Amino acid sequence: MGRYIARRCLQAVLTLFLVVFALHLLTTLAIQLNGNPALAFFGDRVPSATQLAAVEQRYGLADPCFDQPGNPCLGPFVDRVVAYAQGDFGTNLRGRDVTDIVVAAAPNTLRLFCIVTITWLVVGMTLGSVAARWRGKAVDHSVRLTSVLIDAFPVFVLLVVYRYVFSVPLSNWAEDRFGQGSLPALWFRPSFDDAHPWATVLVPGVLLGLAGSAAFVRLVRASQLECYSGEHVRTARAKGLPEHHVITHHVVRNSSVPVVTAVGLTFADALGGAVITEGLMNIYGMGGVLWQAVRASDVSLVVGVVTILSIVTVVVMIVVDIAYAALDPRIRYE
Amino acid sequence: MKTTRMVAAAAVTVTVVLTGYSAGGSNAAEVGGAGEPITVHLVLDQDVGTMLPMDSNVDDNIAVLDVVYDGLVRYDPATTEPHPYVAESIDTTDNVVWTITIKPDLTFQNGEPVDAAAFARAWNYAAYGPNAMANNYFFERIEGYDAMQGETDDDGNVTVEPEADTLSGLTVVDDLTLEVTLTGPFAGFSTMLGYTGFFPVAQACLDDIETCAVQPIGNGPFQVEEWQQGVSLTATKWADYTLDETPNFDRIEWTEYAGASDWPDFLAGDLDASFPPPAEQAAAEADADLQSRYVETPGAALTYLGFPLYLDGPWQDIEFRKAISMAIDRQGIIDALFPGTRVPADSWVVPGGVPGGEAGTCDWCTFDPDAAVAALEAAGGWPEGEVLIISLGQDETNEQYFKAIGDSIQATLGIPYELNPTPDFFANRADRAFTGPFRNNWFPDYPLNENYLAPVYASGDPEGNTQFGYYNADFEAAIAAGDEAATLDEAVTQYQEAEAILAADFPTVPISFSVNQAYYSERLSNVVLDPFSGRVKLRPLVVTDGE
Repeated sequence: MGRYIARRCLQAVLTLFLVVFALHLLTTLAIQLNGNPALAFFGDRVPSATQLAAVEQRYGLADPCFDQPGNPCLGPFVDRVVAYAQGDFGTNLRGRDVTDIVVAAAPNTLRLFCIVTITWLVVGMTLGSVAARWRGKAVDHSVRLTSVLIDAFPVFVLLVVYRYVFSVPLSNWAEDRFGQGSLPALWFRPSFDDAHPWATVLVPGVLLGLAGSAAFVRLVRASQLECYSGEHVRTARAKGLPEHHVITHHVVRNSSVPVVTAVGLTFADALGGAVITEGLMNIYGMGGVLWQAVRASDVSLVVGVVTILSIVTVVVMIVVDIAYAALDPRIRYE
Repeated sequence: MKTTRMVAAAAVTVTVVLTGYSAGGSNAAEVGGAGEPITVHLVLDQDVGTMLPMDSNVDDNIAVLDVVYDGLVRYDPATTEPHPYVAESIDTTDNVVWTITIKPDLTFQNGEPVDAAAFARAWNYAAYGPNAMANNYFFERIEGYDAMQGETDDDGNVTVEPEADTLSGLTVVDDLTLEVTLTGPFAGFSTMLGYTGFFPVAQACLDDIETCAVQPIGNGPFQVEEWQQGVSLTATKWADYTLDETPNFDRIEWTEYAGASDWPDFLAGDLDASFPPPAEQAAAEADADLQSRYVETPGAALTYLGFPLYLDGPWQDIEFRKAISMAIDRQGIIDALFPGTRVPADSWVVPGGVPGGEAGTCDWCTFDPDAAVAALEAAGGWPEGEVLIISLGQDETNEQYFKAIGDSIQATLGIPYELNPTPDFFANRADRAFTGPFRNNWFPDYPLNENYLAPVYASGDPEGNTQFGYYNADFEAAIAAGDEAATLDEAVTQYQEAEAILAADFPTVPISFSVNQAYYSERLSNVVLDPFSGRVKLRPLVVTDGE
């Protein structure tokens, strides 16, 4: 197990290096082709050459390679990797530390992910188990219909409809009913409130989770059905074990391996949803920060944030792989 | 249980909607209960990175600093006419040497004196090229500016370091007297002094500029309590403030909305002022209650079409430019795309927005298809087989706007066109790389008609200015006459003459002016929008405690 983890960590470092390099090339090319973000600093005014040079200096884009399309700008890349290795993720264009930004933004995204994951698991496990247990019955069909409906509803639409149609009357109603600043009033606030991060991230998180839960419902159902027809379940039943024991110990547990895999994989996907959710609900999180950074051609912020996200993704993948072993005794890493 | 709650929620929603629920800012008032501070809840809708006066040049930080700092002059909320505020007097005899006397006994929020040195240190910092401050160029008119810039080669490498780090034209005569020498006469100099870039800074601010950029040390009626960048900024009333403009509320809380709409939050009562996104505007207009809390003022931004006058082509002929201008159905396009949020422009200076701005200075800015066709004929028509390329930056709204403009030109004149949205817009414009008309947008820096004219069209270069290649000696002379005028009023008149010359030459086609609009909550009154930032002016604002 120890050797396996060590090997995975080495791979992870290589992956991260490649990610940083690819990002560096892409953002450098974007600057070379899209024009210098320093020019945007002046808006509609035409800056003098010295004014422009001073801003390029300030933005860390003074290296002439940024003006030469196709030049990989290896000099700035080496500087960046060396700085990253020392834990220095640089500053954004306006001189704010990237780590400060991440420290401020990441907790909100993690809260969102936390609620999303719980929603996935709760909705997926519950509806999936019910559908599998009563396969072919009316309840199975309605679960299938529900998951198709959820799948057909893009998260963007779900959030826009919630925010513009439901949240205002709901929050007004909750304030009248339960009082200003009460928990229900906060749940339905149309936008995120940094003073009440958990309460105001709950509904957006549940909605984002719901939107992604259809796949989980189907996955859980399929994998439990496989278990129901498995020999070990027949044996367990033949031994005379009570049905609830059979289901919890032999069906649900054995069917969770693919579910955990899916959680790991979809975690990366969820970031895409987080960009939309954070943007719409005004949550100051990693998705929103990244979105703004890309729009502003803020190279150090984009590369810094994505690198930190890649670290998280790689770590989550490793944790998922290790979790397999805990869930399925047949899986051993040696 | 989940299902029950959802059903209940849905039922409640339906009831609320059916019973004619009416929304808006009702319970923001409850925040200011008995004895509690009265808080105004507002919005910052850009991702601003700094609150340093020398570096603040977008609506949001300008709006915040407007209550955190006091300038030498302030502008009348209604007319935008400047009047001395921190300055006791601003005198000049030749429009070149200006003597500024500062009111005695004023201090910063950290106790440092607001004196001549406080202004000099801010201006020197801003004018020093390597500091790369956003408001650097405002100091171009002060003597010694050039020596603070250094030189660069074509690749942007610094070849000559700046010779000086202070403006030679800035003299601290005594504690309360500052003498400013300009490189040439400029009657509008005192008008500029109310702009954010001219605010004073404390020595403690320069000593730790990074902290000061997020925790400004002001001299205005409010002080920044905390700024969580990207999230919110709060300011509280400064107890030791001694000047007149003291608002009746205690606290301002700005929530940052980079990209997200804040309209639902306004409807839910969490904000005191807002404006709906396009899809929600009709509903807002239909709500009589909201309409009673609506305010609109002319905005200062002019969108206009420029021509590559530096190239040969049909645009060299004024008749062609007239034809293009008269072929654009400004009102029709605005009604279809941005109803009520823009007004057709028929002048180069915003009418009613700044001193000297008058409507109707443009003779060919109304939609007249017949006259447009006649003008095109007079110009010799459009070259057969050529396509008119209209360039602009990449922006969804503007692309939509200019597509409609292109369609209007094509429908009226039969000129086929192509839209060229390019991410290199600014670079191409600076390099004179456009081969057809292109979008321009001018946002003035200070309220004077001169600011719409001189910086854009007067380059002093007979080759023409960088952007369009326009040059007219008479125009330059009229601007110079305004700069030398004995009084501001006379200067404004001279600048108006310059606008008339511009109107006759017709180098660019005015298209539309912005409009500032806002809905506000029941607890606000005396709501005035700043023509520049479009934000609610905070100093004259009155907030009633709702409880």
